[in-house]
Amino acid sequence: MEFCEVDVSIQMFAELFVHTLGFWWIILPAMLLGLIVGAIPGFSAANTIIILLPLTFAMEVEQGIVFMVALYASSRMGAGIPAILVNIPGTAGAAATPLDGYPMARAGLGQQALAMSFVASTAGGLLTTIIALIAMPWLAQVAFFMHSVEMIVVMLFGISLIATIAAKNTLKGLIAGLLGLMIGAVGTDFVYETPRATFGFLELYDGIPLVPALVGLFAVSEAFLVIEGESILTRRGKELMANPSWQATFEGVRMCAKRWWHVIWCSLIGLVIGVIPGAGASIASFVAYQQSRSFSKTPELYGTGHPEGLIAPESANNGVTSGTLVPLMVIGLPGGATAAIMLVVLEFHGVNFGPQLFSEQPEIGFGIFMAMAVTYLLMIFTILPLSRYMTKVTIVSTAFMAPVIISFTLVGSFVPREFGFDMGLALGFGVLGYIARRTNYHVAAILIGIILGPLLEGFFLRAIRMANGDLGVLFSSNIGNALWVALVVTVALPYLLDYLRKRRRQQKTM
Amino acid sequence: MSLFDKPFDRRTMLSGSATVLGAAAASSLPFGNAFAAGFPDGAISVTVPTRAGGGADRNLRAFTGVWKKYLDATFKPDFKPGASGRVGYEFYMGKKKRDGHNLLFGNMGPEFLNWIVKMPTFPLEDLTYFARVDTDPGAIFVRADSPFKTIDDVVAAGKKRTLNVSTSRLAHPASVGLLALGEHTGAKFNLIPLSGGKNTIAGVVTGEMDLGTLTSGSVAAKGKALRTLLVFNDENVAADRLNNAPTMNQHFGTSLPPLLSSRAFAIHTSVIKDHPDRFKILNDTLKKVFDDPEYKAAVIKAKGIWEYINYGDMNDTAKYLKGIKEVGLRFKPLLTGKPS
Repeated sequence: MEFCEVDVSIQMFAELFVHTLGFWWIILPAMLLGLIVGAIPGFSAANTIIILLPLTFAMEVEQGIVFMVALYASSRMGAGIPAILVNIPGTAGAAATPLDGYPMARAGLGQQALAMSFVASTAGGLLTTIIALIAMPWLAQVAFFMHSVEMIVVMLFGISLIATIAAKNTLKGLIAGLLGLMIGAVGTDFVYETPRATFGFLELYDGIPLVPALVGLFAVSEAFLVIEGESILTRRGKELMANPSWQATFEGVRMCAKRWWHVIWCSLIGLVIGVIPGAGASIASFVAYQQSRSFSKTPELYGTGHPEGLIAPESANNGVTSGTLVPLMVIGLPGGATAAIMLVVLEFHGVNFGPQLFSEQPEIGFGIFMAMAVTYLLMIFTILPLSRYMTKVTIVSTAFMAPVIISFTLVGSFVPREFGFDMGLALGFGVLGYIARRTNYHVAAILIGIILGPLLEGFFLRAIRMANGDLGVLFSSNIGNALWVALVVTVALPYLLDYLRKRRRQQKTM
Repeated sequence: MSLFDKPFDRRTMLSGSATVLGAAAASSLPFGNAFAAGFPDGAISVTVPTRAGGGADRNLRAFTGVWKKYLDATFKPDFKPGASGRVGYEFYMGKKKRDGHNLLFGNMGPEFLNWIVKMPTFPLEDLTYFARVDTDPGAIFVRADSPFKTIDDVVAAGKKRTLNVSTSRLAHPASVGLLALGEHTGAKFNLIPLSGGKNTIAGVVTGEMDLGTLTSGSVAAKGKALRTLLVFNDENVAADRLNNAPTMNQHFGTSLPPLLSSRAFAIHTSVIKDHPDRFKILNDTLKKVFDDPEYKAAVIKAKGIWEYINYGDMNDTAKYLKGIKEVGLRFKPLLTGKPS
């Protein structure tokens, strides 16, 4: 690659680091803004950058890059905060975070959960940024090998979580998953754009909007439930929250540090998925969660407030952040929605993407990743101490909490598309989620179907159309076949391990 | 019993939430309109039926950035993507006030082809494209290192096997151009809709597709990463940026009408009739933008092709739509997947 023509040295990166650190006056406000918009459902880095386009157009190109990158990275971390504390994932990328984060918060371990989330996000983001910086030319090649067939298998990794959830109650889990897949099929079809199950509603032509589904199923239904009690905290949780201390934050850091291998592994999953154009944080979070559970020694604890179940999605979705920038910088293809908006700004400033960017304008080519690294470093020092105070949200009485959750989430549902219809949809999903919880159907299974179903259908139809209807195409690529094997192994592994454990126990008792 | 003594049940909670929401909504009402006089007396809202950050967004920002000087008003883009533009059009026609403060910025070619596939819920004559901004011809392109060096290589390969071709959507002038090429040469093509220009280019760059068909402006913006092989226009006016690619009619001796994507401002037809003074102000100030060097600089800075900027009035847009309709009806069975 032409990257070799650039005189890359440790000294160059050291100088770039110091240079980027000089933009602290941009990074800090962008970081704060990113945390806020990430935490509010409906807002995201992408739509905030769009709103602020005139500002980024007016800035110098380097300043604009630093601003956008800081906002992007911090919004990802911000989305995890309400997901953990009040069961509201701010974005689809944080949809897997409450699965174990919220049970921890209810058990009075919100401070530990937040600290774990911040450390996992920072470590995952920082690690993948450094890897991206070093291995960019090779990482960009991933996009050339991950086509529709391979993406079908990647989607199935995430969707197989439904089967995992169904393991506890097979019939109910599968019904919930299928319901989610059916809801995900609402909207126009991918090829001929024929409306399906839209019932004449214009607002459903583009499919079920993610934010109303997300906040409805998780947050609104949760509000309906918690109002039946005085607090979201369990009895033990109340006891723990009665005496908050810094020690809980350090314990969270320690819990995450102890699982350092988990952070590395899941953030790498995020990085690789982020590099693929059209994939994204939601896929990465679910795939990382599924992988984490498959190889865990305690898979039965997932969904009950297991630290690994929180670390996996948080590391992965921050790994995606640096991953989406790789194809953008190397081949000019944005890996995700936010990277696509960054492309607009950078093109406006006359930046030419491709390998030549790194030799002609290394301060931009390498600088974008350095800005991300510096943001993560500054972020951990500024946000970690706040975890103690943020956790206080959980002690607020449900009499105040529930209306605030509903109001915020409904406004959040309205924001992305500005359709009043979406607020009604969020309430509808809230009722569905409430009924599902009351009758022991898992809302996460419904949500996985809604998020990943349309993506799977899109890649499937594309692959089949390319092969003129020949289903054999699904097994036509070496990488795809390797992924199929990996999928079968990871889905079967927990059952196999469980069987072996039981057998060993039986042998011991004999 | 005071309000605070009431037991807090789910109903109370929902009514409380509704009050909070109502207050929030009331606080955002546009009171400014009541005090203004003359036209425009507020921001001009422009409905864009595609996503923010795409080609339409770029063109609109460049244009309105200059237009606001002459109209003395701010512009507020309102992105309503979905279903190949259908959501945005239906939203504009069904929900926007018909007072001249609301415009639509659409891409006439693909969006009108959409109506040929399936009619919208509103009568087409209720919407008028009153000012064309550009004419961007469709093109066939490959990756820079593709084995296809010329369009003849593509046709020869297409006669041996079916080639997969990425396109933004089936109902698109560039897709129609490709179908016409297949019909004329006997080459076999399989159109794969990838929802949007960026995905169409990604399909080709990552090697999943053999070639792609898209508006030539988007192809040119990618620089050396792509090679243009054919342009669907009477003349390749941006030959230097499109690898001197021949046009379909020049190369194959066909008489295909120009297959252009053409961005244009549209307005409710009733506004032209009910508020002719307002429409005149809009139209007169809009025309001034094309002569402003600031606009040319903005287009070039955004990597646009200045030769494609091409003002057209209502007659021009009507003529263009008539041509697109004829071509669309010819290929309707292929675009809808339903044999006639």
